[in-house]
Amino acid sequence: MWNAQSVGKYIEGTFLKTRVKNSTGHTSAEYFIFAGTIISLFVITLFLFFIIWEALPVFKSEGFGFITGTVWNYTTNQYGILIFIVSTIAITVVTMLLACPLSLLTAIFLAEFAPARVSNIIMPMVELLIGIPSIVYGLFGLSFLYYFVQFDIKPFIGSTLGFIPIFANGSPNTGQSLLLASLILTVMVLPTITILSLEAMRSVPREYIDASNALGATKWETIKKVIIPTAKPGIIAGILLGLMRAMGETMAVVMLTGNTFQMPTSILDTGYAMTSKILMDITFYYGIPSGRSALMGIALVLFVMEFLILVLVKAMGARFK
Amino acid sequence: MSVRSRRLEEKIFIILSGASAIFTAFILIVILGTITISGLPSINLQYLTSAEASLQGAGSGVANAIIGTIYLSLFSVAISLPLALSLAIYLKRYAKDTYVTRFIRLLIEVFSGTPSIIVGVVGLILICLYLKPITGGWSLLSGSIALAILILPVVERSIEVAIDTVPLELEDASYALGANKWHTIRGITLPCAISGIIAGTVFGIGRAAEESAVVALTTGYSQYMPEYSIGHNSKLLFGIQIYPFQDAIGSLPMAIYNSFQYPMFESSGGGFRAAFILILIILIINMSARLILRRWKIG
Repeated sequence: MWNAQSVGKYIEGTFLKTRVKNSTGHTSAEYFIFAGTIISLFVITLFLFFIIWEALPVFKSEGFGFITGTVWNYTTNQYGILIFIVSTIAITVVTMLLACPLSLLTAIFLAEFAPARVSNIIMPMVELLIGIPSIVYGLFGLSFLYYFVQFDIKPFIGSTLGFIPIFANGSPNTGQSLLLASLILTVMVLPTITILSLEAMRSVPREYIDASNALGATKWETIKKVIIPTAKPGIIAGILLGLMRAMGETMAVVMLTGNTFQMPTSILDTGYAMTSKILMDITFYYGIPSGRSALMGIALVLFVMEFLILVLVKAMGARFK
Repeated sequence: MSVRSRRLEEKIFIILSGASAIFTAFILIVILGTITISGLPSINLQYLTSAEASLQGAGSGVANAIIGTIYLSLFSVAISLPLALSLAIYLKRYAKDTYVTRFIRLLIEVFSGTPSIIVGVVGLILICLYLKPITGGWSLLSGSIALAILILPVVERSIEVAIDTVPLELEDASYALGANKWHTIRGITLPCAISGIIAGTVFGIGRAAEESAVVALTTGYSQYMPEYSIGHNSKLLFGIQIYPFQDAIGSLPMAIYNSFQYPMFESSGGGFRAAFILILIILIINMSARLILRRWKIG
């Protein structure tokens, strides 16, 4: 017979680490904890399976062409997401190229060069940047940085580096571009990378630094040859987490990339990120089974991309432990 | 390399890194400054205390959005906290170190890296569409559930960190006195970790309040103040609709998003007003979490 007692015994026998000898079974609070655990695990598993389940039809009908195709049409049921993938990757790459030097140098300054008084001012400011909601970043980008990008940055890059195709200024009449989204995303991932690499640099053992100083190295040489190599796993984990944030960001990207369905060839072109496509279309097309499945397909591809980065983070952690 | 060039290299990098740090601070000042300058002057008492629908023009009132954001973040944490707490206690104190628990940890970690738009889109189809008879479609309830799922790994993680700070000697002492596992957890572990648990919860509230992608897809938007009544709706379970839970609700992120989506109805100044209030609310939430952590630190 299954009753509360026997279910509890079963759970206890299967999952529990230790049995305290003089305890008389479990209290009801403990059953509450097991129930809560099972419910949350059920919800998480359901969630992940649901993405795959909903996305399956589009992978069946489109096959590998779902990833390499460049047509997206709800009436003819053709779905290819290459443009979205290229836009997302371009935005992420530009973001990381801008954010990594800036945040690593900031972290180095806060960890090593800055006097305590200065870092006590700058550190809370970096933490404040995390607290700004992404939609506010989007709003700021749209009504402030937009004009700066349109009238200053785009013409400048277009006229100096425009002969290289990826810097060509093909759409001078708008500020919305992959670059604008990247600039705002840079600010959004900056605190993540800065704080995590700062923590990694601060946890380098004092003896290493002392030894390097004793050998006559300058402070910068100690940073370059001792602190950064020792803190490398933490720094890389910070960078990858920043990358995940940039890739999965929705609201700011929707407001800033322009959302035009064409293959971007330059970072000054408008684009259409994967997250934007899902947000813009799902409320209109969730009623069409194939369209809904295609949008969930984008979600699945995005999820797999994030998952691969996470595996990379874990592998890093395991290798350097 | 001569001493001189080594010194020069160091100087260059001191200047470079100092410039980066100052630039970072400068960015924050520019962003907060822009929002304050464009938003603050047009905020008045009428704007703060009226619902959008009760005044002329879009974005003219924000009270409905403020109340909606408070409800959404509180209810989502209320749903999420019991689950996160039990998951954290189970993983930290009951689970054996087997492949199953390692897999569970990986699952939670993967889940916490999931972009919010994916939570939003699954929430839309699973919670708003398939469970419509219970949740009432786009509603406060759907939004709270989706947000609860989003912040579950965040809150769970911070509770785990809080439990990690509890000195094991105290627990051993409790066992030595003959207390069993649950009594030790209730009498020693949770009281010692309580500041971390509360801080994690408050961070969760902040995370839910600032989230916009999930809210945009699951709560809908209402220009009216939430109602408190029970109405009739044959499409829902038992034919009754419980306000405000099964009804669309306004929220600050959506109020800002509307100023982007419908720029013809509303100047972007309207968006900045709402943004200023949202930042203020989140700032207060995050500050109080920090204060709690600092004041109640044990050991």
